[in-house]
Amino acid sequence: MSFGLLTVELIICAWIIVMLAAELMVPRTRAPSLWQLAFLGVLIGAIGLAWLGSAGQAQAFQEMFLADRFALYFKGLFLLTAAVVILMTREFLRHLSVNLGAFYMLLFTALLGMLVLASINDLLMLFIGLELLTFSLYIMAAYLKTDARSVEAGLKYLILGSVSSGFLVYGIALLYGFAGSTSFPALRAALSENSLVPLSAQAGLLLVLAGLGFKVAAVPFNFWVPDVYEGAPTPVVALLSVGSKMAGVVAILRVLYGVFLPLQELWIPVLAGLAAVTMLYGNLAAIPQTNIKRLLGYSSIGHAGYLLMGLSTGSAAGMEAVGYYLLAYLFSNLAVFFVVVTASEAIGSDALEGYAGLSKRSPFLAAAMFVGLLSLAGVPPLAGFAGKLLVLLATADSGQLWLVAIGAVNVAISLYYYLMVVKRMYLGTAATAAPIGVGSLTKLSISFLLLGILVIGVVQEPFLQQIAAAVR
Amino acid sequence: MAPLPLVILFAPVLGALIILCLPSERTALIRRVSVAVMGVSLAGAVAALATYETARGGYQHEVFIPWIATLGIGFHLGVDGISAVLVLLHALCAFTGVLISYAIKQRVKEYYVFYLLLITGVFGVFLSLDLFFFYLFYEMAVIPMYPLIGIWGSDVKEGGLVRFTKEYAAMKLTIYLTLGAVVALVGLLWLYVSSDVRTFDLPALQQAFASGPLAPPLQRWIAPLLIIGFGVIAPLWPLHSWSPIGHAAAPSAVSMLHAGVLMKLGSFAIIRLVIGLLPEGAAMWMPWLATLCVMNILYGGFVAMAQKDLKLIIGYSSSSHMGYVLLGIACLTPLGLDGAVLLMFAHGLMTALAFALVGHVYDETHSRYLPDLGGLAHQLPFIATCGVMAAMASSGLPGFGNFASELLVFVGAWDVYPIQTVCGVFGVVITAVYMLRLVRGTFFGAAKPAFTHVHDAVSPLARLPYVVLIAALLWIGCWPKPVVQIIDASARPLLERTSPGDLRQYARPPEEAR
Repeated sequence: MSFGLLTVELIICAWIIVMLAAELMVPRTRAPSLWQLAFLGVLIGAIGLAWLGSAGQAQAFQEMFLADRFALYFKGLFLLTAAVVILMTREFLRHLSVNLGAFYMLLFTALLGMLVLASINDLLMLFIGLELLTFSLYIMAAYLKTDARSVEAGLKYLILGSVSSGFLVYGIALLYGFAGSTSFPALRAALSENSLVPLSAQAGLLLVLAGLGFKVAAVPFNFWVPDVYEGAPTPVVALLSVGSKMAGVVAILRVLYGVFLPLQELWIPVLAGLAAVTMLYGNLAAIPQTNIKRLLGYSSIGHAGYLLMGLSTGSAAGMEAVGYYLLAYLFSNLAVFFVVVTASEAIGSDALEGYAGLSKRSPFLAAAMFVGLLSLAGVPPLAGFAGKLLVLLATADSGQLWLVAIGAVNVAISLYYYLMVVKRMYLGTAATAAPIGVGSLTKLSISFLLLGILVIGVVQEPFLQQIAAAVR
Repeated sequence: MAPLPLVILFAPVLGALIILCLPSERTALIRRVSVAVMGVSLAGAVAALATYETARGGYQHEVFIPWIATLGIGFHLGVDGISAVLVLLHALCAFTGVLISYAIKQRVKEYYVFYLLLITGVFGVFLSLDLFFFYLFYEMAVIPMYPLIGIWGSDVKEGGLVRFTKEYAAMKLTIYLTLGAVVALVGLLWLYVSSDVRTFDLPALQQAFASGPLAPPLQRWIAPLLIIGFGVIAPLWPLHSWSPIGHAAAPSAVSMLHAGVLMKLGSFAIIRLVIGLLPEGAAMWMPWLATLCVMNILYGGFVAMAQKDLKLIIGYSSSSHMGYVLLGIACLTPLGLDGAVLLMFAHGLMTALAFALVGHVYDETHSRYLPDLGGLAHQLPFIATCGVMAAMASSGLPGFGNFASELLVFVGAWDVYPIQTVCGVFGVVITAVYMLRLVRGTFFGAAKPAFTHVHDAVSPLARLPYVVLIAALLWIGCWPKPVVQIIDASARPLLERTSPGDLRQYARPPEEAR
């Protein structure tokens, strides 16, 4: 037993209890400063992670739990996401004033789920991590109890999420039938022994992929996205679109590249086809949107398509590209959501019309949104460009040139709707000229994300080396 | 002293960074900073061209910084004879463009930041010797156009009615160019994954392909992706429709860069990548290009004759004249290629001059609508003089650069594409018609009372951009030899691997081939 490897998870577990206690003990008037406590928890988690980073690769609990560099890299990204989302909630406090401590507690349970997913070495761990994450998100999505749209979002997410969990469990059962165990080493061994994999096991793998496809919002498991994005509290949407999607991708990487590489002839065409459809659907459906959160929802489907494209390569280069893409996506999308949280508070709605003339009301927010959106679109020298290029390059390398062509065309399509937002901000006239005040901590956080976008976009080599070491 | 390409490329970046830190009210200082940094770039460009050693040829002033070693990406800058000339063209247009930008009065700080980023992107494309950075800078040059046109541009009106808005023009331009870029990107990635050397480094690729070229069928597939992808910005008929309206809606200084330099990125990319890396593919597709570019020349010319908006006339004339450049490239003869590059230079200067002049007229009279104008030579003697010279240059009058270069193109293309060349020559006549009509309609005739209060460019600073551009045009027209020698030093080795015999085999009519 080596509990040391669980340091980060244990810290976060402790903080779940701390936040619950705080919810009970901190008086209502002091509640707004609870974010500091939550932020501290993530910070301590990060210190724990740094301490773990000095240790080597290891397994724990009968090989159920992996603490390799891959896990550490993605745990770092998850902690970063959680930290930014906590900072984001500061701008959203007005809506969350009831039971704020419980909200942060749920944030930590979701974070715990993501951290577990980065370390899975067993299908049951996959299920536990995923359910931990998703259950927290069900509640968080419906957190605005008096807002019908938020409740609708939570309910929709719950129903579709349960169905996809059903797929996942059924898939796990079929795979258990094949290997007689749910652990990854056993599955690997079974795959190498049987040159002919039975149809039931193949179906099991595809069902597991379907369950994970729900998490990353790939077509055809994307129906929850627009409504949930529109209705859920914005910081939760940020967590959904960055953290939850990243967790899904990490799980797919673990399952497909860690175990089922011998079956790549089965899943590569499936993922490639899904990637093409997902990209086209997400980006085309984003064009007519009139609500910024719905637009970002469809855009996140588009990005899921790019991630699937990188996943469909079956090569180390593809894994590296996906790792880089997620890093770039994290910074760009969080920057955009930070602006949306801040601006929507002042505008009073999420309608795109409200963003007209934003550049006059707050040059800083407009510029941050501009940079974030361009990075999402993949414009150099920003982070998104390097991510997209690496994914396209890895896909071209795997010989799927048709997919590269579709991916490349999607860059132009996505640029169109991102620029439509830019057009409103810079060319539109605002209904009121009242300037939007931006707090200094918010300004600092957004500036940090923008700096990240620029650095990741310009200096690729050090990040790429980290990722290459992680996926090896 | 830092290597020249770094100076040229990073002077505008530095300028943009300084301007970002300045308060937005200090417009005079912002303008001075941008003029200063562009002066540095211009000096660097002149030095790079002047010190280019013709006898040695190849890539010179190289800078190499390893970037992503595992993927074969390096930050590799340098110039050959062709890009040295185009860097100077861009430096001239950018320097004069910054001066012309004094007319911008609103959101000055943001304007100069975007403008300097645009300038950086274009310099980067000309200077990059690495395909990754080539593409990176290319996309970087396209995107700032959107805010530049959208915020500081103007709607195109005709007889009081809005024909199209600046938002429409900006979006159309951006999407067209991005679509073109990604088509080219597919070609570039295909090229990368099918080469054995696994590098984005241009000289390394050229060296590798010299000993073991890509399989000809592969070349024939990749070449059209690059020709069409970069052809969009060239702008190749029928993918040109973003260009005239983009020029018309953009502010003058942006139109100058846009028509003067940005469009040349397309033809430059075709020379550097298609002819340089895919000789077999080039030989197969160049006859198609030659036919399409005749459509450019004639169609663009005829449409220009029908326009009444000054900027649209020049916009369509640009897409018509770029047809000559493409014809010079398509013939794959040293003479034609020299002419094409020289014409890129001369046409860039001429168009920049024309857009600057139209910009002055528009700022003073608030109209670009030909029927509303007239008699402006009375109030604007200096601008009118320059206007006549620009029209003469555009129509190919001997003494201006355009004449020398168009002659080279026609002579070079004659052997290979006689029919297309004859058709193309008629374009010169069409140009004369619309340019002379433009000059007559704007500057000559009785003075109009509405324009009694318009001002000429009087101060030396206001006259400087026009003088610089005209001087360069005359220099290149009267004494093209040194420049042609520099171009030729790089053009000839490029063509060595495509023998004219290859091309004739494809260009010949089918019955003869049998």
